[in-house]
This record gives sequence, structure tokens and C-alpha cells, in this order.
Amino acid sequence: MDKILIVDNVCKEYPGRSAVSNISFEVKKGSIHGFLGPNGAGKSTTMKMISGLMPVTSGEITLFGEKISYTNILLKNKLGLLPENPPLYMDMTVESYLRFVARLHQVKNISQQVDQVIDQLSLGAVKKRLIGNLSKGFKQRVGLAQAIVYDAPFLMLDEPTNGLDPQSVVELRDVIKKLSAHKTILFSSHILSEVEQLCDHITIIHQGRIKASGDIAQIHHKFRKGLVLKIGIGKGEKLPELDQFGKHEIAEFHSLAQEEQFRIVFEAEKDCRAEIGKFLIEQGSRLMTLQVESPELEDIFLHMTENK
Amino acid sequence: MIFALWKKEVDSYFSSPLAYVLIGLFSLITGIMFFNLLVTYSDGIQALPQNMTQDISFVEEVVVRLFANINFLFLFFIPLITMRLFSEEKRLETLDLYWLAPVKDWQLVLAKGLAAATLIISLLLMTLVYPLIIWGVGVQDFTLLGTAYASLFLNACAYIALGLFCSSISGNQIIAALLSILGIMFLWMITWGGHLNSNYILSEIFTYIGITSHFEKILRGLVGTQDLIYYVTFIFMFGFLTVKSLGRRNW
Repeated sequence: MDKILIVDNVCKEYPGRSAVSNISFEVKKGSIHGFLGPNGAGKSTTMKMISGLMPVTSGEITLFGEKISYTNILLKNKLGLLPENPPLYMDMTVESYLRFVARLHQVKNISQQVDQVIDQLSLGAVKKRLIGNLSKGFKQRVGLAQAIVYDAPFLMLDEPTNGLDPQSVVELRDVIKKLSAHKTILFSSHILSEVEQLCDHITIIHQGRIKASGDIAQIHHKFRKGLVLKIGIGKGEKLPELDQFGKHEIAEFHSLAQEEQFRIVFEAEKDCRAEIGKFLIEQGSRLMTLQVESPELEDIFLHMTENK
Repeated sequence: MIFALWKKEVDSYFSSPLAYVLIGLFSLITGIMFFNLLVTYSDGIQALPQNMTQDISFVEEVVVRLFANINFLFLFFIPLITMRLFSEEKRLETLDLYWLAPVKDWQLVLAKGLAAATLIISLLLMTLVYPLIIWGVGVQDFTLLGTAYASLFLNACAYIALGLFCSSISGNQIIAALLSILGIMFLWMITWGGHLNSNYILSEIFTYIGITSHFEKILRGLVGTQDLIYYVTFIFMFGFLTVKSLGRRNW
């Protein structure tokens, strides 16, 4: 089975407002799929619907070939969820909480599984401590531990690094990367750099609608308007008038922070580095850099989520 | 599964100060009540002529009154015990843990109900010292004591079922507790309504629906099938409503 999750034309409506409208996307087996969107875009609602915690108004969600519903017991050990607010009992110790969750999921070798997860998430030092006394970073790890303690093959992590200090963020990312070796992960975030580092596939959601979904490289390609060149010339020089460079139409021109650097976006995608290089040299410029730029995910994201 | 859920709830009760405060307070209040009833009984006996003392029943004056008073205490104690069971989990969004696990709603309701009943048993265990004292003063009707405890326990179970339901419909503990208190008071008032109603049929219906008549009968050792059916039906009905209330959630 190549596609673990299929979200097909799903809507979620509340009286007087729509949370998500006709969203469709797929998650491939073995991938880390980024679910990107600004706050309030509908990420958590979608994740709750996928996990069967919230009904869809219309459409269908299929996980492991089974239709999602809150009564579908077959799926309950196959899906691990770390919600935005992890479901933690503050009066339990880390170890007893994880044992309890493992018992709920009818894990056979509870001690071994719990010990393994504690090791995996470096929770050994705090395993005897009450969850309520832990730092936010550790609480988040315990939340992640409860999602993986029954070894679910599909994990959904709803903004797992939100509110963590930088060191905890890096550590948690490493853990997620390691987990991806044998799990499919749907990872929601509004932090673009994080998604770029972790994910190979993304879905961008904005105002309850899917703006793009698929392989990151393909999305990059799809949203590239034309060739983007970054040009650097010698210090103190002025860039010659590009009007005379009439072979290729220029769509946008930006001066960058450093005075001698410029970004030129052409209408066409055709590589014209040789021609523009030759043109600049002929005009007496000392060409220091000439490189093709891929649009940043951030540019794509901002472009898609700008309120028009 | 039910055992794991029950154990978690019981551990949760006894890891918080609430259980100990309730047990301490309950022991203190029932102790004062028992002492007062004994003193009143003793004063009453001494004030009467010798040939009339046999008309005052120790069981009626002390045991029945004590247990009726404990039943009154349950009006406040049980809502305090049940209020957090679902409403706190709703507030903390911890119920998701169960919805994502192969746990059935009825298993969760039953386990939470049993955990609350366990705490009630702990409270009632504190009162076992009174039967010892009663035995010491020569009363040996332990069958009656048995039915008195059974009546209290059955009433407590009914209140727990009601409290669980109230907790399942509110995300606020205080509101859940207030609803439970009002619900229990309503159950009492129905019986009073039955006593005050001049229409025989309505009076009988009210008396049957109200909990007090069943409690008082069992308390005095008159255990009838219809009383037991009443309790079983009541507990089952509110258990069922709680399960339905949970199943409704966002679906």
C-alpha cells in the first residue's frame, strides 16, 4: 500500500462558519509529510478528523484502507497522535503514565516497550518524576512517548515543537527523524524551516483550503515563475541598464541588502546565464557571482497564504 | 482493561489530598453525629420511667438516624468525588487518550464509577468502629447493620451514577457538582411530593420514583425486590446516559 492516508474532499462545518472546505491530500507510506499553515488554518481540525476524534461534515478519510470513524477499533492501535495539548496526567509519574497508555493499547510486553521508549526519548532521568513537575520540553517528549509507546505505524504530530526552547526543538527534531525510519509521520507546523528540514512531502493549508500538496521539489518547481538569477558585481560598481539586454523579458528586479547584489526574475525559465554574463562583461562590469536561485519554501508559503 | 482504568482512577484519588480530606472530614462529622445520637438516646432513656424504656428502640434512635444522617452527608460528599471524573478530563483534553485506544465508552464509565464506589467504601470503612461500639452496648442485630450498610452503599452507587452523568455533560467541575447536588435533592423531593400528594396513584408513582422510600425500607431491613430493581434500573439508566453523553461528544 503506497498511500497510507487519503483525505478525500473533506469538509468540516460549524454553525455559521466553515473550518475546512473540500480538502484533499494523500500521505505516502514511509514519508514525513509536513502539514503547513498559519495559525487557525485548519491543521488541528484536520488532524482531529483524521484521528477520528471529530466527525467530518462531508467527504471521506481513509487510513490503512479503512474508513475513519471513532468506533473503528481496527485503527486504534495503528495511529499515534501528539495533539497540540498532549493528553497528560499531571499526577502520574512518567513511567506509570506510559505503562498506563501501553495497557490501554493492549501492548503485550509492556515493561520492555516502555523502557525502550524511555530510552529512545531520553526520559530515563525523569521517569520517576511526576509529569506535572516537568519542564515543557519534557512534557512534550512524554506526549510524544505516549504516541509511540504502542508502536503505531502512523504518527500525527500537531505542532510538536511549539513553545519549546531551541535546544529542545533540535532534540525533538532529531527524535522525529529517527522515528521516520520505520514510521509514516504527518507533521503539522507553521515553522517553515522546520518543515524543510524534516519533510519530503508537504501540504499547505490556508483558511481551511488546500493550497498545494505533494513532493516539496515538485511544489518548488510548480511555483517557480521563471528563472531567478542572483547577480553580484564588483564593489562600488553600478549595474548596467538591463533594458539593453532585450533577449529575455524580465519580470521582477530586486536590489538585495548588499549593494552590489541583485535578484532578477525572468518571465521564461530558459537558462540565460551565459548570455547575461556575457552582456554584463561587455558593459564593463566585473561579474563576481551569477547563480540560479530556487524559490524558498517561505516564498511559496507567503505567496499562497497572503490575504488577497 | 476495566481493572487498568479503575486502578488509574483509584491511584489518582489517593495521590491527591482530596481523598484524605474527605475521609478525615467524613470521620469527624459522623463521629460527632454518633456521639450526639448516643448521648440523646442515653438521656432519653434516663428521663423515662423504667417500664417505658423498652419502647425506645436503640436501633431506630441511633442506628437508623446515624445512617440517615450519613445519607444526608452524601449529598455533598459524592458530588465532590464525582465532579472531576469527566469534567476535568474534558478540560485537560485527556479523554482523547481513551478515544484513540481500543477502550469502549462503557468500560470507561464503569471503571470510573467503580473507582468512586471504592472511595465510598473507604469512607464507610471508617464508620465500622460504630458497630463495634453498638455491639459493646449489647445490640447484636448485625443483620440490620448489614442492610443499613447495604442501603447506604446502594444509595451512594445511585448518587455516583447521577454524579458521573453530571460530570460527563459539563467541562466545569463546579457546575458538575452543583448539578449533582440539585439532582440528588430532586430525588429526595420527589418522595416528599409523593407523601404530600392526595392522589393515590400519583403519590405511589412519586414515592417509587423518589429514592428515599427505597433507602428507608432497606435501612430498616425490609429488602424488597422492587427496591433492588429500582437501584439497578437507576444506576443502569444513568450509566447508559453517561455512555451516550460521551459517545455524543463531537460526533
